[in-house]
Amino acid sequence: MNALERQFAQTVAEHKSTIYTVCYMFSQDADEVNDLFQEVLVNLWKGFESFEHRSDLKTWVYRVALNTCISIDRKKKRRSAEVRLTMDINLFEDRDEDTRQVDMLHKRISKLQPFDRAIVLLWLENLSYEEIGQIVGISTKNVSVRLFRIREQLKNMSND
Amino acid sequence: MQNDFELENMRQQMTTLKNKLDQQEIINDRLMRRSMRNEVNTIARRYYIIMAVGLFMIPYGYWCFVKLSGLSIFFWIVTSIFMLVCTGATFYTYRKISDPDMMNHNLVEARKKVASAKKFEANWLFFGIPAVVLWLAWFLYEVYKIHGGALDNGFFWGGCIGGIIGAICGLSINFKTQRQYQDIIDQIEDLTAEK
Repeated sequence: MNALERQFAQTVAEHKSTIYTVCYMFSQDADEVNDLFQEVLVNLWKGFESFEHRSDLKTWVYRVALNTCISIDRKKKRRSAEVRLTMDINLFEDRDEDTRQVDMLHKRISKLQPFDRAIVLLWLENLSYEEIGQIVGISTKNVSVRLFRIREQLKNMSND
Repeated sequence: MQNDFELENMRQQMTTLKNKLDQQEIINDRLMRRSMRNEVNTIARRYYIIMAVGLFMIPYGYWCFVKLSGLSIFFWIVTSIFMLVCTGATFYTYRKISDPDMMNHNLVEARKKVASAKKFEANWLFFGIPAVVLWLAWFLYEVYKIHGGALDNGFFWGGCIGGIIGAICGLSINFKTQRQYQDIIDQIEDLTAEK
């Protein structure tokens, strides 16, 4: 393994939870999570060499993961990878109390449209409005307006 | 108050999720390098295949249409130009969508690029489908000229009806795709509009 590959493996290991969370929130079943996870890793690898550290590594990982999950053409047949890279967890089938809580979060978030889903995810990860704006590509003011609307939407969901 | 409670609850659920995931290891971690390299090579290979098929069609078309079937040289020239234009358009869209740098942009910028490439692809079909129908009609005419009245039967009319049905299906799918991408562009405009 050369230095770049070692660095990449380390980056993935450090951010695996972030990547998996994004994939999970944009998926409807376990297979889709695994496909998205694989696709995000491929896109991270493609951009890893040219990543110039102009932005924070975590911000970049978020960008690539969210872009992949929002832009992927779900109708297309997935590439059959020689080696499946995923995590040994199935949040759609496990039935313990923690998973039940996580499932409630998934159900709420998946009712939002993709951009709003991305914004609320970043907000839940405790990123600042400025960081959210940089990742999504909107102004800080727009982030706060959007988040206000999303909160209203979420509130209405819990009232339903 | 209720709202704050809900949001706080969501943050706790998020923490639970992160804690669960932090305990996991990526399966086949040691094989990651090979897998990534294979995936990227597959993408690069597709570029070459698209170009190779487009270029191969020129000599193959000459052999198949002119030498073997006796169709006119003019028909082969127009077919070759059409093939080259199609290859160019496919290559252009594919390259735009698969640009490795695209995913590094912010979400709005990246989505705009994908949407514009997909819209180009959909717009292209407005030219492509009628062109294929015309080409098919010309092809049948060329064959008709060579074989005389042999096409005055089901083959000729089947080809025509099939071509028209195919064009209608293609165009209706295309309209649907156009609408989907227009929706995305509208979403982006709504998101980026200064409130």
